[in-house]
Amino acid sequence: MNTRLLLAPVMLLVTALLPAQHAGHHTEPAAPEAAANPHSQHQELAGDAFTSGSLYQLEAAFTGDDGRPVTLGSLRGRPVVLAMFFASCTYACPMIVADMTRIRDSLPADRRDRAALVLVSFDPRRDTPQVLVRYRKDRQLSPQWTLLHGDDGAVRELAALLGVKFKQEADGQFAHSNLISILNAEGEVVHQRAGLKGGLEDATAALARAAR
Amino acid sequence: MSRALTLLLVLVPLALARANPGLRDGMATIPAGVHVPLSRSVRDATEVKVPSFRLDIRPVTNAEFLAFVTANPKWRRSRVSPLFADKSYLHHWSGDDALGASAPADSPVVNVSWFAARAYARWVGKRLPTTAEWEHAAAAGYTTADARNEPAFTADLHAWLARPVPAVLPSVGSARANLHGVRGLHGLVWEWVDDFSTAMVTGESRADSGLDRDLFCGAGAVGAKDTSDYAAFMRQALRSSLKGNNTTTSLGFRCVEVPPTEPDSSLIP
Repeated sequence: MNTRLLLAPVMLLVTALLPAQHAGHHTEPAAPEAAANPHSQHQELAGDAFTSGSLYQLEAAFTGDDGRPVTLGSLRGRPVVLAMFFASCTYACPMIVADMTRIRDSLPADRRDRAALVLVSFDPRRDTPQVLVRYRKDRQLSPQWTLLHGDDGAVRELAALLGVKFKQEADGQFAHSNLISILNAEGEVVHQRAGLKGGLEDATAALARAAR
Repeated sequence: MSRALTLLLVLVPLALARANPGLRDGMATIPAGVHVPLSRSVRDATEVKVPSFRLDIRPVTNAEFLAFVTANPKWRRSRVSPLFADKSYLHHWSGDDALGASAPADSPVVNVSWFAARAYARWVGKRLPTTAEWEHAAAAGYTTADARNEPAFTADLHAWLARPVPAVLPSVGSARANLHGVRGLHGLVWEWVDDFSTAMVTGESRADSGLDRDLFCGAGAVGAKDTSDYAAFMRQALRSSLKGNNTTTSLGFRCVEVPPTEPDSSLIP
């Protein structure tokens, strides 16, 4: 028996017994992902090209409070006032809803009904479509409002696109950005109103331009 | 002689298995544990339970990311939407589908956005780790579960923090494995986490836009749980300063296994 043959296993054994260095023997084979990957077909674009700044490139699936699947792209062609919220919020979110109503009401009467008012919940666990139905009823929101439920991934990606930060706290409430976004017909963010203070003039002007 | 060989052939796999039975397929099993968030909000949970999970041993490499970009042309440098990746996306590569001298094949990929990292993870059937998962895995030192008790580890960590990012990053294999067999959580690059956007420096929920925050704002240190943990604070500050399309020369990522029972939550186009 050739001693050289033994050398490799001995080295392996020695290395394996050194606690911090064993992982070297477990490194995976280089990049097998390209060959066969069942997930790759999801990556292709939908075909009808949204503009490069359009939020509607996000193909995340949401559910309306009517239980129907909704993609953001279905809003294409309309000016949009959009905010993220959670239904059990008692402080900022009702003010956001009120501000969105005021922004919409600022449009000339003949264009007022074209705007879409969209609320997307970042509380997927509690804000089921059924809860959103109740929210619509309690707040007396007209059919012009779209209330959306999405899973964690959909909500996180939309929030990241908008620059909305949110975090659930131990008591179940969310710390979150107060942000109302105005989208043009292509789904591009043309204005964002941050915070709860200050006038709505810039937001209403942006919506008026988007509604032209 | 042949008996000795037989003995070795039996012993070697045994020794490897004993060293860390969770290491396979390039992933390590991180045992369940508790993550103590570095946070200032009084309403925050003081502890987050982290169930056991499987984490990539190494960060994703340039070669691996190139395979992804090649198979998914919409993630090429020249094609990607500015919403999903900013201008410096993959800018250290020599071309759309070429790595070049600044991007060795086995170095961690950097200059990738959160959206791109998520898309890659989805493509390989995995996901990004949560903050709690990442921090829990990274809390381990070389030989113990809590690196704060390991002066040698802390010294290496602080030395890395003090060094500028090298122009060409070293191989992902160059980092020493931690207790769980995971390499490079510290000492190579910063890494994206799935819920990076939950890191809010001020914790102010009433008038916090999160939009125009300067990079590395120092205010967050005030209420931090453990101000001596500089590295954790730096990660928190970095996460809170990022937007999903941002890319930097020292920010990469690694993935977590998605168990069959866990719903796929990645919905990148």
